[in-house]
Amino acid sequence: MTRGIKRIIFWLAAGIIIIGGFLAIIFANTNTGNNNKHIGEVGTDEWIKGDPLSKVVLVEYSDFQCPACKTREAQNKKLLDEFGNHIKFVYRHFSWDYHERAFLASQASEAAGIQGKFWEMHDKIFENQGIWSKQSETAAEESFIAYALMLNLDIEKFKNDLYSNEVENKIEEDHASGNAAGIDATPIYFLNGTIINPRTYDEFRDLVRDAIEKANQPA
Amino acid sequence: MNLGISSETPSKKQINLPKWLIWGFIAVSFIGFLDAGYLTVVHYTGADLACSFLEGCEIVTTSKYSLIFGIPVALLGALYYLTILILSLLYFDTKNNILLKIFPALTIFGFLASGWFIYLQIFVIKALCEYCILSAVTSTILFILGLYTIVKHKP
Repeated sequence: MTRGIKRIIFWLAAGIIIIGGFLAIIFANTNTGNNNKHIGEVGTDEWIKGDPLSKVVLVEYSDFQCPACKTREAQNKKLLDEFGNHIKFVYRHFSWDYHERAFLASQASEAAGIQGKFWEMHDKIFENQGIWSKQSETAAEESFIAYALMLNLDIEKFKNDLYSNEVENKIEEDHASGNAAGIDATPIYFLNGTIINPRTYDEFRDLVRDAIEKANQPA
Repeated sequence: MNLGISSETPSKKQINLPKWLIWGFIAVSFIGFLDAGYLTVVHYTGADLACSFLEGCEIVTTSKYSLIFGIPVALLGALYYLTILILSLLYFDTKNNILLKIFPALTIFGFLASGWFIYLQIFVIKALCEYCILSAVTSTILFILGLYTIVKHKP
């Protein structure tokens, strides 16, 4: 083999490896894979807003300490104001380990849920995210107890339920279904079992409206 | 393998870098290139509103310090590593001593830049991105290899 050919092969190989490597990382970053993940059936004991009998089911996996989840809360409310009579909105816990108080926040919401005030606690937790997320574990626990007091909950029962197995298992069930679906970010929305990734509220609204229209079409 | 021409004048001594050193430059700058390239992609595509296991990187790569004159530093990093990679491949091919005056010296800038970015992450942005730490490691290794080349082989 002449020197010239060797050089061509050398530079071709180098070029292929460099460009191939770069394309591989782009592909790895943009390939979200199959969007039809199995997130399981929505149970009757789950936290549901809107019309529980609707065929249009919107499941949100959310983390109480995630700033993006708090931001999306306002959009959820707007959506439910408009389409609350037509969709079944489900909240599921999916807290990240590095959000150190997120699991405790989920426990607080579930403990309030036992006394029928899940959504009220859910709102308080998101409203005050900037406060409790920066606190120590004991201080955050006191904050959640204070929210429970504001919601007129039975405090002794709330404290007992906070660390109960019942509450922990319920959160873990949500985590397990999220893990099974391969969730890699929060908040994540599943509209009738399919991941949707709207970047704006209008996109979010259009997707939900289309699903409602589709569900209402005569078969 | 010396695939190409040796363009040195006869009066000048041909410097032969040990193979491990050349391959060190090639391998480490390739890793650095993929890493910074990944961060560049994250900068342009991963900035949508979401929390994920890459959150530290999203905070860092979307902070105001992630841009210099509107250019993402990750992109500058990728170009830096690509330059080192191409120059060391070129040296591997041509054994041209002039190249040895360029890329080992460039590693000093990469090292200083990485030092500055680690400082920003720890003390200013207060969020660490694993991929940026990897970049600091690769640029430090390149700096050590560069320094070794300059001191030992005096190009």
